[in-house]
Amino acid sequence: MWTGSVDADRAPRRAAGRALLALLAALATVAAAAAQPDLPPVRLSDLPASWRDDLGRTFDLRSVQGRAVVLTMAYATCHRVCPVTIRNLEQLQQDFDRRGLRAEFIVVGYDPEADDPAAWHQYRRTRHLTRDNWHFLVGTGADVQRIARQLGFEFWKMDEHVIHDSRIVRFDEHGALIATDTAAGQRFTER
Amino acid sequence: MGIKGNLRVARARSWPCVLLVVCLGQSLPAAADPESDQIAELRKELEQSMQMIRELSQKVHDLEVRAAQQSATPTAPGTAPATSATARAPTPPGPAAPTPAAAAPAVAAAAPAPPAAAATSEASRLTQLEQTVAQMATNAWQRAEDIGMPMHGFADVGVGTHNPEFPDYRGVDVGELDFFLTPRLGARTRALFELNFEVGSDGTVGVDLERAQIGYQFSDSATIWLGRFHTPYGFYNTAFHHGQWIAISLRRPRFIEFEDHGGIMPAHTTGLWLTGSERLGGDMKVTYDAYVGNSQRIVNGILDMNNAGVPRGSTIVGGNVGLLPGGALDGLKVGVDAFQTRIEDEDPTPAAFPQVSPYFTRVRSYGAYAVYDTDRWEDIAELHFFDNTDLTGHTGSHHSDAGFIQMGYRGGRYTPYARYERGSFQQSDPYFAAQINGNSYDREALGVRFDIDLSSALKMEFAKTTFADRIIRTYGEALVQYAIRF
Repeated sequence: MWTGSVDADRAPRRAAGRALLALLAALATVAAAAAQPDLPPVRLSDLPASWRDDLGRTFDLRSVQGRAVVLTMAYATCHRVCPVTIRNLEQLQQDFDRRGLRAEFIVVGYDPEADDPAAWHQYRRTRHLTRDNWHFLVGTGADVQRIARQLGFEFWKMDEHVIHDSRIVRFDEHGALIATDTAAGQRFTER
Repeated sequence: MGIKGNLRVARARSWPCVLLVVCLGQSLPAAADPESDQIAELRKELEQSMQMIRELSQKVHDLEVRAAQQSATPTAPGTAPATSATARAPTPPGPAAPTPAAAAPAVAAAAPAPPAAAATSEASRLTQLEQTVAQMATNAWQRAEDIGMPMHGFADVGVGTHNPEFPDYRGVDVGELDFFLTPRLGARTRALFELNFEVGSDGTVGVDLERAQIGYQFSDSATIWLGRFHTPYGFYNTAFHHGQWIAISLRRPRFIEFEDHGGIMPAHTTGLWLTGSERLGGDMKVTYDAYVGNSQRIVNGILDMNNAGVPRGSTIVGGNVGLLPGGALDGLKVGVDAFQTRIEDEDPTPAAFPQVSPYFTRVRSYGAYAVYDTDRWEDIAELHFFDNTDLTGHTGSHHSDAGFIQMGYRGGRYTPYARYERGSFQQSDPYFAAQINGNSYDREALGVRFDIDLSSALKMEFAKTTFADRIIRTYGEALVQYAIRF
């Protein structure tokens, strides 16, 4: 037989509900913390400095120090992953524009043997990526390997293909690595 | 023991080799134990340095508190300019992250002269220390990344009303497990080894070293390979390899399947291969391949690429030239190719032919292809002609041809595709007559690829295949494939 008042009956339920919510929030926090990938302890100034841009000009990566930098790696004949990554970069550019901020967008070529400055120049032209704060860079094989290792871009070459994931890294104005996006269009994890 | 029996023995013998390779792969990290010790040592040093930084930060904090206390009392005349000058001094180079340690120099600079001098000195030491620690951390991270030999690959499984390669079977099928070993070598030396576990026509798992090539790169426009490679005819054979994940479609066109899956062209060559590309000015680019290798032979109705060498000195010689016009035609590639080889058939000659053993056929193939590959479209068309001559002089010369056209549209995660392929092979030509899949056919296929994520894809294909000679029949297929890369 039911004898208690409604309020008296609801109070323990509310307490239990609050406890459950708190538990879920705690679990979500823990899960989010666990999901946050390790950012490599690298600074913009640690990266190889000497590159060539899509016009064949020398490009010194130190020249963008003091500005926010968004960096990714790509290859010009990639039609599966890289277009998604580039679209994400364009969305980031829009975000920066909305907030009235300027950032340098850098795309480093995975495959300097196949993607020379002319290939990147054509890539920019056909995809209308012509803003002057976007830089498509070609380096030596050694520098490409080095920057990929430093920034956690995993890739391997199989003949004409470069097998890789989508990854975007972001440096702040002080040259510190502050964020990575490890899956196309999914999230930005900020330090 | 028949040839099938021999194949089983060969496969059984190959298992220890596979186990050895896997064990070697496992032992590589173990062999890197000294590296682990060094990393542990670096970590220890890093922790000590971090402790030092914390202590120095505490000292800076104490100085800051002391300076704040002194600023509460009247400042002595003449100290202000000194403070200002210190404040205007350039920030020491190095890390400028908004950490307490990095913020310390600026804060310390605001302190009166005597404490400021001490603080600047501390800050300088602190900055140097922080730079050292950052470099150590970076090095440790990089060294950890360097350990081990990279191993990657592809795998696929499927289900269908027929096995996509061997139509006599139906139900669930295991496709292949394909390992790529790409050891990191010097600046000029290249290597590629592809070890493939696949289910054969008898349902047993076989292991094949699909590619084993070591090359030297002279420049960006010329690399020479020695070993077993994919014969560079047409476009498809060198653009798409054993891992089905890489391709839009669920399977290769039938006539350019790999040899042990019924392909009637020599998909692999063991030999020497010069390849590269050269920009002709502007956006235009030319690609080229030239190769010479062991001629192939037919064993048990299947082409064999003579990995160990040829017993009677025959060769395959061929080349391929492609043009990428670029500019407004960005994504387009057109090309031509040709090869000639002398095929030895070791099997008992079909009854319709003179009983000669071994039977020799000179195979001449000419091809042309066009590819339109952009972010939206992947369209491929290939055509191959065969002018073969019976070198025993019994059946003369024969003309055959084969080709396919495939169109795929990349619409986000879905990529629908359509393909039509056809092979018209003269059955009086001993080269085709001797091969299990050397019968004429045509196939229409409609399919879709769905990219589940960046490393796995689900494909579905509906196809109708008609055999036009030998046993005339038509069969339909509904196929599903789950393909991954790792």
